[in-house]
Amino acid sequence: MLGEMGNLIRERCVNWLGYLFKRPREPRSLMAHEEILPGIGPVRVAYVIDCMGAMCPRPQLLTMKILAMVDAGEVIEVVTDNPAAVETFPSLADTLVCSHLLTIRESDCWRLYLRKEA
Amino acid sequence: MQSASWFELNRHRLYSAMIVVAVTLGSLWALSIDNRFLYLLVYVWFGLIYGLFLQYGRFCMAAAVRDLFAVKVPRMAVGMMIAVALYAIVAGLVTLTGHSTFHPNVLGWHILIGAFIFGFGIVFTGGCASGSLYKAGEGNLNSALVIFAISFSQAMVVAGGSWFDGLTPAGWAESALAKDMPAELSVTRGWFDLFTAGYVWNLKGTTLAEIMGVTESPVTAVLINTFLNAVLPVLVLLVGLYVYYFRKGYVRRLGKSSLTLGDELAGIWNMCTSSKNTALAGVGLGIFAGLHMYVTGALRAHYEIFNFGELLTAMGYTNGLSIQDTVFDPGYWYITTQEAQWGGWVMERLGIDMMDNIFFGLDNGLPNPLLNAPGFMSIGIILGAAILALLRREFKWKMPTWETAFFAIAGGILMGIGARLAMGCNIGAFFATVTNGDPSGWIFLLGMVLGGLAGVKVFTKWMDWKLSREDSFGL
Repeated sequence: MLGEMGNLIRERCVNWLGYLFKRPREPRSLMAHEEILPGIGPVRVAYVIDCMGAMCPRPQLLTMKILAMVDAGEVIEVVTDNPAAVETFPSLADTLVCSHLLTIRESDCWRLYLRKEA
Repeated sequence: MQSASWFELNRHRLYSAMIVVAVTLGSLWALSIDNRFLYLLVYVWFGLIYGLFLQYGRFCMAAAVRDLFAVKVPRMAVGMMIAVALYAIVAGLVTLTGHSTFHPNVLGWHILIGAFIFGFGIVFTGGCASGSLYKAGEGNLNSALVIFAISFSQAMVVAGGSWFDGLTPAGWAESALAKDMPAELSVTRGWFDLFTAGYVWNLKGTTLAEIMGVTESPVTAVLINTFLNAVLPVLVLLVGLYVYYFRKGYVRRLGKSSLTLGDELAGIWNMCTSSKNTALAGVGLGIFAGLHMYVTGALRAHYEIFNFGELLTAMGYTNGLSIQDTVFDPGYWYITTQEAQWGGWVMERLGIDMMDNIFFGLDNGLPNPLLNAPGFMSIGIILGAAILALLRREFKWKMPTWETAFFAIAGGILMGIGARLAMGCNIGAFFATVTNGDPSGWIFLLGMVLGGLAGVKVFTKWMDWKLSREDSFGL
């Protein structure tokens, strides 16, 4: 078990050095794509905002900017690993005139889906 | 292979349990050395409880002011107001039992200016002083950098040399000299000493009941301090938040054109409960922050002491006490002063004389971090947050990038300077004061809000500039 912990720590350190000195990891495809959301059905995601590693208030501010750009009725996806930001998004959705469709918990992040209302 | 998969699946639970066991064993070990360490352990376990609640509600007071301007979301401001109301009520009851440990902050322009600098800084660090502690417990190393920066910038502010003495008004040195302080404190040298002895000591700290001259009946005084100074302003602010931030969306969702009074009240309730975690954390933090005062006050009565320094002396630990044989021991939730002591202690070990000033030398001392009771409260917050974050699988090591590290350190330095000028952070100078009848906390909040507003403006400019350079939204 200790050996496993050691490996884990080594792997983390190597990852971080790569992250500091190279470009941050390749973002997920930011292109529009279709996705099937549980309980909601197929949805066309117009934009994916990758906020991995971002501190507050960056995820919120980026989302505001993107929402101002997309058309009414379109769905955007926010990927974040910031628990405080996730907690803010349902209230943020009210303020920004959009509906918070769903939050999906992944092993290392959350994916939030917001639809811009008319 | 079998054990590997078990480890993979239960790693977070295992780590979480290890922290609980370690804190419990550490507590028992301390008690076995001397049962009077109970006084210190009260800080540890209340810190742990604060950490649990902060993580549970993702309760960040920086977000309370920042999000109002940055994204127009009142979630955290509402949570903070709930906590203030609850804390005020429990604190009022504690005051009636005679075990209140509260002492008011002095009132003056320094609070507004310090709070402004503090409020400006928290926008860049992504968390206030206690917020940074609980985020460090979630594995966020940016926040750990913030704590570092706050610790050392405060220590440098209070013990700094005489470079800025020329900036102080002439009256301060005179006034400081007139206080007749021991020579080893050199009160006329060092900006912060001049500020403390020449300015702050001439001011008075008081509660609303004293200002209004109603002190003969303790019950009336408590009622004034609790309801007039805390609960009533909270209700006014909640209504304000509702009208400015929540009502529009609420009306839209309700689909009515005109609202009855009942609808409006339901709307306010709706706003308060829109994030259940935050509201519950506010309730919990308010109640336990009040209970903390009671437990420490009762223990002080039991040991017949006014300050932990006396207990340390009795136990034979006299290193690092101030010249009055005291250490920092607020008796309630406090964040920044003990962090200044960590920074100061390290600098003292590096050979810099840190005791020739009022802050450490006369008031707070520089105890070994292992004997620093409020310091353990801060560590408790980190560990409490880590316990819950691990259990909820939200713990994740987050490494700084060059940009976030720069913001963490620069913002942390500003927070440290602001916290010392204002004599506390959003916990010590706002949360703990307004709830105990001291109106100076509301001035702190005003300064912090204005600072937050300015910070958000600068931060948004920075983000726009950066995005326009990258020319895409890929971060």
